[in-house]
Amino acid sequence: MTWLLWRQHRAQAAIAAILLGAFAIPVLVTGSSLHAAFTACRASDRCGGDLLNGYENVNTLVDLTILVPAVIGLFWGAVIVGRELETGTVALVWTQTVTKRRWLGSKLITLFAAALLSGAAVSGLVTWWSSTRNATLESRFGGLQFDIQGVAPVGYTIFAAALGLASGVIWRRALPAMATTVGGYIGVRMVVELFLRPHYMAPVSTLSGLSKGFGPPTGSLNVGSDILLHGRVLGGAIRMPEQCASGSSRPASDACLDRLGYQLRQTYQPAGRYWTFQWIEFGIFAALAVLLTVVAVVLLRRRDA
Amino acid sequence: MTTAPDGVAIAADGLGKRYGSKWALRDCTFAVPQGRVCGLVGANGAGKTTLLRLLAGLSRPSAGHAAVSGQVPRDSAEFLGEIGYLAQDVPLYRRWSVEDHLRMGAHLNRRWDDPAARDRLGTLRIPLDQRVGTLSGGQRAQVALALALAKRPRVLMLDEPVAALDPLARRSFLSTLAEAVADGELTVILSSHLVADLERVCDHLVVLAESRTMLAADLDSVLAEHRLLVGPRRDTSAIERDHTVLHSERTQRQVSLWVRLDGPLHDPNWQVEELNLEEIMLAYLGLGAEQPAKAARSEVSA
Repeated sequence: MTWLLWRQHRAQAAIAAILLGAFAIPVLVTGSSLHAAFTACRASDRCGGDLLNGYENVNTLVDLTILVPAVIGLFWGAVIVGRELETGTVALVWTQTVTKRRWLGSKLITLFAAALLSGAAVSGLVTWWSSTRNATLESRFGGLQFDIQGVAPVGYTIFAAALGLASGVIWRRALPAMATTVGGYIGVRMVVELFLRPHYMAPVSTLSGLSKGFGPPTGSLNVGSDILLHGRVLGGAIRMPEQCASGSSRPASDACLDRLGYQLRQTYQPAGRYWTFQWIEFGIFAALAVLLTVVAVVLLRRRDA
Repeated sequence: MTTAPDGVAIAADGLGKRYGSKWALRDCTFAVPQGRVCGLVGANGAGKTTLLRLLAGLSRPSAGHAAVSGQVPRDSAEFLGEIGYLAQDVPLYRRWSVEDHLRMGAHLNRRWDDPAARDRLGTLRIPLDQRVGTLSGGQRAQVALALALAKRPRVLMLDEPVAALDPLARRSFLSTLAEAVADGELTVILSSHLVADLERVCDHLVVLAESRTMLAADLDSVLAEHRLLVGPRRDTSAIERDHTVLHSERTQRQVSLWVRLDGPLHDPNWQVEELNLEEIMLAYLGLGAEQPAKAARSEVSA
């Protein structure tokens, strides 16, 4: 089986190795100089937003790793079994002296080992490179940062691979399986990110006057903010009371609102929960990957090839 | 494990396969003695592919059971090592060279006769370093056959292997097959709708129609038992009582009966004609009323 898998997937392995190398070299080179610059500026306490000037291209490259899981699901997951079902070559392999079980087992090990390794390699590089950038950012929860650093992207990668595998088994054709993989991946990621992630743990709320400023503490994940009047949440559009409307400046009107009893409630996940959230996100996607793999295996074994 | 009587290479007993509510194959019962080349005949959709896939263990029966080389077809190395299977459309890895396929075979099989495969392909002048996708259909079929034979199977199953080939490639494929059978104790079951080809290589026959077995017998006895009876128009109930009438055609003055003789024919008033395999098949497949059989009849009456 090892020979077969190597012969079948060596081209994919070579392309992956080349792409990983092409990604790693600029990241390692710029990452080292960024780290040096960061250490230097921190020593003199003059670190500013200009730290990343000149690194825009690598910055973009690092952000693009958001696509890695989908690409792996597309070109590895969806084809590893789907293509063989499509071309009928399963009938050739399954009538050699190799059982379906062993064939499928080797395919799964290859797929998930490759997905796990490449997901971890890319995420590791991005996490290391981003440690400097993170210092200049408001929050590691924000933008793409949560999705491309740490263990979450590894979870996404094995999930995408499993989704591709299951789609390939269901469709028995590579192309619709690839389309399903991309659509399904984006859909699930969006649902989790928008609706589940803010609620992994009970959020923390703080009440403050409006003059204290908007926005949750640095480094946290914003869940929501409400305006309260005498302890009651105001819904819909809020009309500026007459006596404050005349205020010439924003601070003046905020101070005026504070005096009338308006309050701002900030709900957020504190920065310290970052790694807990990373592992929860990884766990969710790893569980989905296991589920999809079981579906694929059961379908393949139950349905006649 | 189902034990087949000695000397039986392939046995099916009430074998059936249902997809949803539709039976693709039903009540299929036959036995093929060891060393035979068995033709599997039937119209499109008669269940030939389903039967072969059941025999190869690629699909599980919904009813009845099968035994191939004394084993129930299943997903085990002991069984898979005994069979060779060539699926319809000859699936191969199109971007691989012939050499790659040979190496795959060597890696994936316990028993693998590499010299024989290379020898066979060398005789056919098939370049081993060429991508399979660039070979002709006939060459691809030969590669697939060489792979299946290199396993040294006891039972070889071929699903419409020559359907897509031109007459020359077909002849070459069938002669490779005939040589392989002459070599040893190989039993072959080969589906085709090209009866003339089957007549050339087969010595046993299984006929499927409408998902059921219509006939399973030795080829010589099939040819000996089937006759076309032509005579003046009259009552045919005596014939129908003693023999099996497969198909009949009546005109104003005469009647033609395609008959399987279940005993000696006593009535001398019938003009008795021999039938070739194709005519017999057509009678079974219910196509007697169409063009080919009419041609056959006019030949007879001429």
